[in-house]
Amino acid sequence: MTDTGTRIPAVRTRAASPGAAAVRPSARERGTRLLAALFLAPTVVGIVVFTVVPIVGSVVLSLFHWNVIDAPGFAGTANYREIFSDSTVLVSFRNTLVFMVFAVAAQLLIALGLALTLNGRMPAWLRSVFRSAFFFPLVLSAASISVVMKYLFNQDFGVVNWLIGLFGLAPVPWLTSEHGAMATVVIVYVWQQFGFSFLLFVGGLNNIPKEIHEAAALDGATGLRKHLAVTLPLLSPTLLVASVVGIINALQVFEQPYVLTDGGPGDSTRTVVMVIYEKAFEQLRFGEASAVGVLLFVLIMAVTALQFRLSRRFVHYQ
Amino acid sequence: MTDSLLSRRALLRYGAYGAGAAALAGTAASWDRLTGADIPGRDDGSLVVATLGSAFAPAGVRALVDGFRRLHPDIKVRINAVQAVDWSDFFAKILTQIAAGTAPDLVYVATEGVQLFARHLGVPLDRWVRRDAAELKEYFADVHPSLVESMMYEGSLYQLPIEFNAADMYLNTRVLRRAGADFPAADWTRDDFTALLRRMKKASDSHFTPYFWTNRLWGGVVPWLFANGTNLLAESKAPGGSWLWDSFYPADRRRGRGGGFRWTTPQATDDRVVEAYDYLASLVHDGLCTRPEGGNGQNLIGVFSTGRVGVTPAGGFWAGGLHLAGMRADGFDVQYFPRRHTQRHQFGAAGYALLRTSKKQDEAWEFIKYSARRETLGELFTTNQTTPARRSMLTTARYRETGPAHWRVFYDTLDRFPDTGPIPAPPQVAEVTQVLLKHTGTALASPGAVGPALRRMQGDLEKAMERDV
Repeated sequence: MTDTGTRIPAVRTRAASPGAAAVRPSARERGTRLLAALFLAPTVVGIVVFTVVPIVGSVVLSLFHWNVIDAPGFAGTANYREIFSDSTVLVSFRNTLVFMVFAVAAQLLIALGLALTLNGRMPAWLRSVFRSAFFFPLVLSAASISVVMKYLFNQDFGVVNWLIGLFGLAPVPWLTSEHGAMATVVIVYVWQQFGFSFLLFVGGLNNIPKEIHEAAALDGATGLRKHLAVTLPLLSPTLLVASVVGIINALQVFEQPYVLTDGGPGDSTRTVVMVIYEKAFEQLRFGEASAVGVLLFVLIMAVTALQFRLSRRFVHYQ
Repeated sequence: MTDSLLSRRALLRYGAYGAGAAALAGTAASWDRLTGADIPGRDDGSLVVATLGSAFAPAGVRALVDGFRRLHPDIKVRINAVQAVDWSDFFAKILTQIAAGTAPDLVYVATEGVQLFARHLGVPLDRWVRRDAAELKEYFADVHPSLVESMMYEGSLYQLPIEFNAADMYLNTRVLRRAGADFPAADWTRDDFTALLRRMKKASDSHFTPYFWTNRLWGGVVPWLFANGTNLLAESKAPGGSWLWDSFYPADRRRGRGGGFRWTTPQATDDRVVEAYDYLASLVHDGLCTRPEGGNGQNLIGVFSTGRVGVTPAGGFWAGGLHLAGMRADGFDVQYFPRRHTQRHQFGAAGYALLRTSKKQDEAWEFIKYSARRETLGELFTTNQTTPARRSMLTTARYRETGPAHWRVFYDTLDRFPDTGPIPAPPQVAEVTQVLLKHTGTALASPGAVGPALRRMQGDLEKAMERDV
């Protein structure tokens, strides 16, 4: 460890100064570098093979017409022109953004509210029970959950409408009306996903020193005021991580709308990843599917970059 | 500026790196593409047969393989049971295997994929059928020509149908009794059907829905279009096919047959199509039927068997499904689909398609013939999970345990209504299906939505059909 630490400045010096270019690393230094390279190699190879190559492959494929069966043909930007004139693609981007806003907001609010509640006075065993219960849906398969939820939210035979009926209310077309279907997909998604944000918030709250809360209490801050002025600013780094991960996941939502509504009624719950799947594996238009994938990649990168930019203003590190 | 910092040694080193990288890239580029088949042990020389995982029971699959091995000990066969929720999902997975370089030799393909496979992947079976005509006489004599015609594309035969399902109407007999209604007559009309739904609704509580249907290509809105004497796409017959009809079918049974179906011009705004949708919208509005959901109707068996649904369209496959769900043989019955302008029914059939990429085409043909044998189908279709394509297999004994009482309806649908035909499935079937489901959902999601939804459907179908897949 010490070796590496002492040699880093030497490398910097060499890069900064023309005269230093002639300095050759010692045999020991070369050995250390080789060892470091060996340790890094599996990760680097993994990233290159499973991340960089597929991304580059997608970009290249987006410039070709390919139906799996025949040889690919160069298409230039035709696939991009096609998807920009395809109303289904455009609607899917709108749906995905709407879904992201509602799903991430609900996910963060519910997770934060529950984390704050559990952070209050409560027997330790009860806290453990709640933590496990809230996290449990996350380890289940999204497809399985969606199949069960499809039964529960069925307009004519589902348990949810049966319960609503007990209060004399009319059945809600959860999965067969445009707004109902989107709301149901959001509900099912949030129910499963909020456990992750919840765990992050629990960890973040535990890291806030009690002394700060005590000092705030001495200054007269209580209840909501204490959370707004003390807890939230100190929790903002966690909030940033939770929102970044939440947004990235939400922009890639697939299983819930695919199983619950198959994108319907109409296109009202069709998401971008569903369109990628349909174009590639149902319509055999792998080039267009890749072009949509590239656009989604750019969108995710842009949203994430924007978040980090905004975080400079809103995130406080202790 | 940076160049001036490079020593000669460094320049040589980077040059060597570059040359190495170029050599590697060149080698990779000139190498044959590595595929899944190159994985050691993956290709064991077997004839690979891809089936829809849920189509056959494991015991049936074992019997299929063992029986073929006894008949052809020199041909090694491997069943690749692909798990999928429906045919569209199944095709997607088969295409993934093809893309990965591990294409099977034979694929079990339903009507939905017949033309797609025929156009891009399939091998016509004509030469083998001609060669083994004497052996196949008995098969064709037992199989309705409509089923065979549905497996033809542009004059050639691509599959031997081994099963099919026509969309008939299942009725819950307990619900019928509760409503004090008689079992409908074979020539019942759409008005009779509506009256029956009203009667069922009146005799039941608020948790009951008389008619249930699923938004899909088979058994969704299409049977109502057929009964209205129309179709989603204009239908015609390809020329050709006489080589088969003249060899295997008598004159009265081959009349009007051609070289397979053609589905071309979209006609979603046709008056009769609009009228069929208006009718379904009125049923939804009056609480006589469910709003259609996508999917494969997996929750239907439960609600039908418990008497929360009175009527639903289904094929012979449902006899086994309801029996497995615990319904008694007399708990349900089946009748033809009601008449409107016609009583033409829709069906879907399935059989094995031989892929062009197969290097074992003669062996694959032997398997196709074997799979269409009566005794082979007897081993496969033990639980009435489908309707066998061979008429001789539909017997009283077969349906004694499962029901329904009017089991003859399953095959008689083809005889009684000779214009009964396959669901519209051109090579662009994936996009056509998606457009149909999407706009059907919208059309019936809110009052007054039928007209605009069908106009959008027409536009989207035109785009889909223009595309060369």
